[in-house]
Amino acid sequence: MAAAILDLVELVEVGKRYGRGPWVLRDLSLSVSGLVVLTGGNGSGKSTLLRIVAGITAPTRGSVVGRPRSVGYVPERFPSDVRMSAQSYLGHMGAIRGRKADVLERLGFRGDLTAPMSALSKGNAQKVAIAQALAATDLLVLDEPFTGLDTTAATALVELLKDRTAVVADHEGHLPSEQVISLSDGHVVIELSRVSGLDELSELDGVRDVSERGIGARVLVEPAHSDRVLAEALRLGCSVRSVRS
Amino acid sequence: MIATTRYLAMDVLRGQRFLAPVLVYCGVLGMLFLHGDAGPALQAYAGSCALIYPVAAWLAVVIATSEDPARREITVVTAGGWRPVLSAVALLSVLTVIALSLLATLMPLVTNPHPYSVGSVLAGFAGHVVCGTLGASVGLLFARPVLRTIGRTVLVVFAVIVLTYPLGKRTPFGWVLDMLGTETVNVTLLWSGMIAAVMIVGAVALGLRAARR
Repeated sequence: MAAAILDLVELVEVGKRYGRGPWVLRDLSLSVSGLVVLTGGNGSGKSTLLRIVAGITAPTRGSVVGRPRSVGYVPERFPSDVRMSAQSYLGHMGAIRGRKADVLERLGFRGDLTAPMSALSKGNAQKVAIAQALAATDLLVLDEPFTGLDTTAATALVELLKDRTAVVADHEGHLPSEQVISLSDGHVVIELSRVSGLDELSELDGVRDVSERGIGARVLVEPAHSDRVLAEALRLGCSVRSVRS
Repeated sequence: MIATTRYLAMDVLRGQRFLAPVLVYCGVLGMLFLHGDAGPALQAYAGSCALIYPVAAWLAVVIATSEDPARREITVVTAGGWRPVLSAVALLSVLTVIALSLLATLMPLVTNPHPYSVGSVLAGFAGHVVCGTLGASVGLLFARPVLRTIGRTVLVVFAVIVLTYPLGKRTPFGWVLDMLGTETVNVTLLWSGMIAAVMIVGAVALGLRAARR
């Protein structure tokens, strides 16, 4: 039984960095209702956002409100060295969740359910991973679930996700959705080698962060404002080392 | 949590990484109790208590790292968070300690020529559970998710285990060994057990904090 669409999870000004590394996500606010599709290039923070939504990792700042009880999750890379059989794995996951997976056939699984999962093809192993997640009743968090699936299974998955509340990373465009969040449009990075008027720069519209780096600085800007901020930086006497998105 | 513990137990059994510590344990127990006189009851138990401490730490690391990180994340989300999963890991580690303790407690009853009273058997069993739980907590304190690479875990757990022995009676582990070695069962066993329990709970709490970094 599929759950009704609910306004479930709300991310409020979520930011994430690992240790003292760079910020992977910054000030992201998002309300998950129905199907939300995440797009973006490699390293744009899709997987980190999904792990935050699923409750695997906590945001460094900001908060996640209203995460439901029954969540299903498929990681970007489902491990291929699982020693138990698909049947056993799904049985255990069903027992932990209190609800068994019942969509493996609809996904077109053609492997041996009793063989170790390490013996399954990549596509069939992915179907098992998806099947265990779809047993969740409230929220699905799927990281590139179409990877390795054949056309039939991909079509079946699109059907199964209808009327579900889900956050799905899908850069191949399998899913139609009214809510598409593009993380690759997050910011443009302007590296300055000589700095002048940083305070003025940080006040400009579209500037998300200004951090000093030695004698230079790094400015993160929303793409729509990058040209104007760049012009302003030059006007203030800064030297620009690089601009990248 | 029972279903999660059962799943983790199945995963550990299929992984076979548990075999090495269990075989070492059985092999050394055999050397202690199957060849000649192991000494009076409690002194003999002190020897196997000294053994269960590192073996329990080793097995706890095996249990904590049996799933690879991606599969662990699925289990965490399915179980409803890190707390039930880390609690299940701790529970399975303690159940393993109890099984090893039963073996070490019952084996000399058959093989050792010295008399064993009910009291000494109970004290011996409790001593094993306490030392094993202390060892398991050391393993869990430094396994994933606290330390994320198995290499660091092995180095730190090995160092802590090795350093415990020369510290002698300054650790709860040393208290239990001293108590059994001098055949004077007292309230120290209870204190050591409480510290072991606190350490296991602390390992789960530290894991929770580290996991969501």
